[in-house]
Amino acid sequence: MAGATSNSSSPILAVDGNGDRLALDGVLGIRTLDQARHTLEQWRKQRKAQVLDVSKLSGLDTPGAMFLCELRDKHVELAGVQPKHEALLELIGGLQRKPLVKPPAVPRWRQLVIQLGKGADDFWRDSIDITAFVGRTVSALGHALMHPSSLRPASISRQIAETGINALPIVGLMAVMISVVIGYQSVAQLRPYGGEDFTIGLIAVSVLREMGVLITAIMVAGRSGSAFTAEIGVMKAREEIDALNSMGLQPFDLLVIPRMIGLIIALPLLTFFADIMGLLGGAVIAQSLLHISPSQDFERVREAVDMSDLFVGLVKAPVFAFFIATVGCMHGLRVRGSAESVGRETTRAVVKAIFLVIVFDALFSVFFEKVGL
Amino acid sequence: MSAARHKQAEPILSARGIVNRFGKQRVHDKLDLDIEAGEVLGIAGGSGSGKTVLLKTLIGLHQPDSGKVLIEGKPIDAVGAEEKAALIGVLFQQGALFSSLSVSQNVMLPMREYTDLPAAEQEQIAAVKIELAGLSADSAVKFPAQLSGGMVKRAALARALALDPRMLFLDEPTSDLDPLTASGIDELIMQLNRGLGVTVVIVTHDLTTLMTVCDRVAVLVDGKITVGTIDKLAQSHDPWIHDFLHGPRAQGAMNARKTHHGIR
Repeated sequence: MAGATSNSSSPILAVDGNGDRLALDGVLGIRTLDQARHTLEQWRKQRKAQVLDVSKLSGLDTPGAMFLCELRDKHVELAGVQPKHEALLELIGGLQRKPLVKPPAVPRWRQLVIQLGKGADDFWRDSIDITAFVGRTVSALGHALMHPSSLRPASISRQIAETGINALPIVGLMAVMISVVIGYQSVAQLRPYGGEDFTIGLIAVSVLREMGVLITAIMVAGRSGSAFTAEIGVMKAREEIDALNSMGLQPFDLLVIPRMIGLIIALPLLTFFADIMGLLGGAVIAQSLLHISPSQDFERVREAVDMSDLFVGLVKAPVFAFFIATVGCMHGLRVRGSAESVGRETTRAVVKAIFLVIVFDALFSVFFEKVGL
Repeated sequence: MSAARHKQAEPILSARGIVNRFGKQRVHDKLDLDIEAGEVLGIAGGSGSGKTVLLKTLIGLHQPDSGKVLIEGKPIDAVGAEEKAALIGVLFQQGALFSSLSVSQNVMLPMREYTDLPAAEQEQIAAVKIELAGLSADSAVKFPAQLSGGMVKRAALARALALDPRMLFLDEPTSDLDPLTASGIDELIMQLNRGLGVTVVIVTHDLTTLMTVCDRVAVLVDGKITVGTIDKLAQSHDPWIHDFLHGPRAQGAMNARKTHHGIR
């Protein structure tokens, strides 16, 4: 064969000869293996005593050698093996060449049942974990507040900068946007009744009581909750947590508490900022849709809301912060080894944090309704 | 492969005038290095002497500040992805196994990407590669997080061998391993070099590996490289090389070399 000796990207293998003796010419390798197996399989079916001449092989790699060893096991005689191929054949022939162990296949319906059971079990464990973690956090927080000297101000202020100050632009923008959305909807709904002026009060109340804190908390859950999980998770995967433990330092005090306190301080401040930006957004809507000047707008806002509206919004912020930090840190500490695990735990942390924020927001609504705030 | 026994003039890989700088520090100062087909070359040097950077430069992962690397006469940048995969296998220092894949899936990944063999065939080849690297069949289904340090190195070696590369680059193959496991890896490298005819480049400061496995050793000192057999290097007047090969640890390795070569 012309191309038999070339070592180019598409190697060529030729099988020729007749009767009981065949000869391989060219490269027997991973790329020509399929062809070789195909041709030789047919040949083997037709004849009994076989000799395979491999003296003209110009290249042989491990899959090729495996194939030849396999043939030899099936009593095909290899003739004219070159010395340079002998070593490889010997190496491969000396191996046991066991097939890969395969985990037994589970039928589909059983997989479903198993998944369901696993899901229920996971949910149960999750609930216990969260409860235990919340308890531990509260106790550690209590301890930290009783002994303020044990707090780490540098670490806490870094967390406030990271979770609070750096989040100002995006939170502010979101708050303005949400006011614009509410404004447009209310003007459209109230105009038929001639009540579009109530839009101002509607925006102010909904931003102060609900939207400001909710948008901020969701934003922070996505931004900082995920960061907590990833940071702590990578530390866990790289055995940094074990290193802390071995030095007699509590990872809980060093990693969880500063993040927790930082976020509990940062989130109410962020919420207040979001409230202000939301009211500014309301003023923009009032000017553009209702042609009410900002000074008039603020006059109306002051009539529509009182301190309790602001209070109802702000009091929720530390609670949300607590759950976002708890869930973020808890999932970070759950990471096991792999990169995949970091990703999975981060996803879970964000989903769970947002879920908890909304659930507690609903509970707060019911509670404030009952106490008449 | 045929070049393994009778060395030819054409080196499989040659580096010319390699310069690497980090800030003001000149790690490599116009290095020249030729690697012959079929040999086992050790790259040694103190910590921070730029061994790993040199390795990354040789395999094209790091762009040198100046100089060029030719692999089989072709500039390394001009080698296509598939060709490169068939040419080069790399064992990274920490193994760099994909943590979301099992050992056998790790080994099969390059095969799956570059060949169209049926899955059963790929599995069979992977099983042989795993056995070749000295792992038991039941560790093939394990995930990297479940493996010990020595097993990680072996699994990574199995993956590096997946496409039967003509060159094998090993970054600290015996570091972090107990002496027995390390000797096992040494033995394995020699076996692969002999059996598969693969050219091996080992970056290491394990003296035993350098003295028993390597045909030639390249020592990096102060950004320069000195290449030669261990016996030649032992007569070098360079103070670092002299201390390196005559220090207290070198004596034991030298003895290992003598017994080893006696047996061989």
